[in-house]
Amino acid sequence: MTEPPEEPAAPEQSDPVTRTGAPAGTDGRNQGPASAVAAKAAGIVPRSVNARAALAGVVVSVLLILAIVLGSRLLHNFDSALLPYAVATVFLAFGVAYRYTVWISAPGARRLLTRGWGSLFSAENFRKAPTALPKMIATYLGFQKFLGARSHARWAAHQLIFWGCILASLITFPLTWGWFTFTSGSGSGPGYEMRIWGFKILGFDSLNILGWLMFHGLDIAAVMVIPGAAYFLWRRMKDRGAITGQRFAYDMVPLLALIVISVTGLLLTFSSLFLHGGGYQFLAILHMVSVVFTLIYIPFGKFFHIVQRPAAVGMQLFKYTGRQDDQVFACRRCEEPIDTGPYVENLRGTMRDLDLGFDAWAEYCPRCKRVLRGSAYLSQVKKGFK
Amino acid sequence: MMGRTIFIDPGRCIGCQACVSACRECDSHRGKSMIHLDYTDEGSSVASLPTVCMHCEDPVAPCAEVCPADAILVTADGVVQQADTTRCIGCANCVNACPFGVPKIDLQAKLQMKCNLCYDRTAYGLAPMCATVCPTGALFYGTLEELQAERPGVQVADTFVFGESEVRTGVAMVVPADRVQWPVPGGLPVVEINGKDVRR
Ligand code: SF4
Ligand code: SF4
Repeated sequence: MTEPPEEPAAPEQSDPVTRTGAPAGTDGRNQGPASAVAAKAAGIVPRSVNARAALAGVVVSVLLILAIVLGSRLLHNFDSALLPYAVATVFLAFGVAYRYTVWISAPGARRLLTRGWGSLFSAENFRKAPTALPKMIATYLGFQKFLGARSHARWAAHQLIFWGCILASLITFPLTWGWFTFTSGSGSGPGYEMRIWGFKILGFDSLNILGWLMFHGLDIAAVMVIPGAAYFLWRRMKDRGAITGQRFAYDMVPLLALIVISVTGLLLTFSSLFLHGGGYQFLAILHMVSVVFTLIYIPFGKFFHIVQRPAAVGMQLFKYTGRQDDQVFACRRCEEPIDTGPYVENLRGTMRDLDLGFDAWAEYCPRCKRVLRGSAYLSQVKKGFK
Repeated sequence: MMGRTIFIDPGRCIGCQACVSACRECDSHRGKSMIHLDYTDEGSSVASLPTVCMHCEDPVAPCAEVCPADAILVTADGVVQQADTTRCIGCANCVNACPFGVPKIDLQAKLQMKCNLCYDRTAYGLAPMCATVCPTGALFYGTLEELQAERPGVQVADTFVFGESEVRTGVAMVVPADRVQWPVPGGLPVVEINGKDVRR
């Protein structure tokens, strides 16, 4: 496995290839001619975006530290053994806020953000489609129906990883922050209490089903994640489409990290149940290193899609509210519908922001663009060659 | 100057669809063709035109620039890749912003797909599928020198005019010898846009 990145931008910088387009151009990760053009096109001085992003990162991480201090009742409930994890989550908060700010500073994403929220709070949405948002969140974020349209196996594997990771985060994050505490008057057996921020939420018997589930939640998560991640790893080595253009740091490392985390987590349980703690120290360190690495990697590699995916809901809602008002835009030449009117107008705005002087072309469907270009070529360029 | 790339000569295209079939064999989008073969004036002319991604260089890949999800990667060798499956949100911005009408979109799968210049082949020095099967050489893969060695006197253009903008591309088109580097018209002899006459 690669070393944990020293500084935020490390993983993508070391990539042999660069992600261009305005966002990359504005955060200084770009190399080659792309950066200048994209930065110019974005109309943004990269340094100011970086400064804004760093500021957002600092604010969010300070807020998280405050929440940790207060939520753990001034560190009374804070488990110092979990300190590295807590520190990593602070880095995670910084990284996510930083990358998020850079991301939404680019014209396309910035407009999508305003349009998405605008649609949510629009009168049409409240009046005509109040249930659209919850439905879209369930389809696109929860059950990820679109993945099923790509392949059922990928959908199933992704659902396992997704719900496994959600379960794991719901357990670990509050634990490492000292928000959850489990106390018992009697050592084991009945009388266990679960507290959040010091308030009792639940009392249970550690020997019954609920107790078992509470204490093995992370093992269950690991059992879900391992087959999912293993399938994707197998696919990355076998599927010729997936192999095309795949990069080790971007595509393989996150899967390996998930597998190492889950396997070491299960082995920790195995060691304490059956080996009287044999190898526990070593496993605990390996587990911690892989978790800390993954948390820090999240904002800068493949896992950033977790943060970006909600944009799909914003985009769908924006298009949906446009359709509610029958604002469908038809190709100027063949009259095939292109998309909603507000969508086309928004795209043209993005193209203008980027100084792409052909935003009027967006009013024609792709086929008409090709046909018109073909006719112009044959009649103007090769006219002597009929 | 251009390295190995695709040279398109629509004047040679006979509309046989061989490239379309071959494109389906490319690993990066197995089973689906990313080539558009259009008959520009069906019914009155047999003229046809194959369209592959032009791998725009300046402005750098407009499709990638308008993408709100940073999904389109431009590799160091200038190849504009199809959308990253984890990032693409299926918004179709790239589809509608591409001046050449290249990307395709699967609205169910929320996924854009486009020609990758057969990255699985060209990255290893092989010609793209389409160019290997084209019987007339309308799609040629190689360097400009190799093209000119086969077709003495031929010239190419890698610049297209779209409205006020010129787009320089990584893939080039064959032009008559007396039209050296003549920017190729991007089409759209538009009569009006939003009710305004835009003819010069
Ligand atoms: S031709 Fe279209 S799809 Fe290809 S790089 Fe240019 S804008 Fe992108
Ligand atoms: S369809 Fe996908 S690749 Fe195209 S602009 Fe939208 S998110 Fe980007």
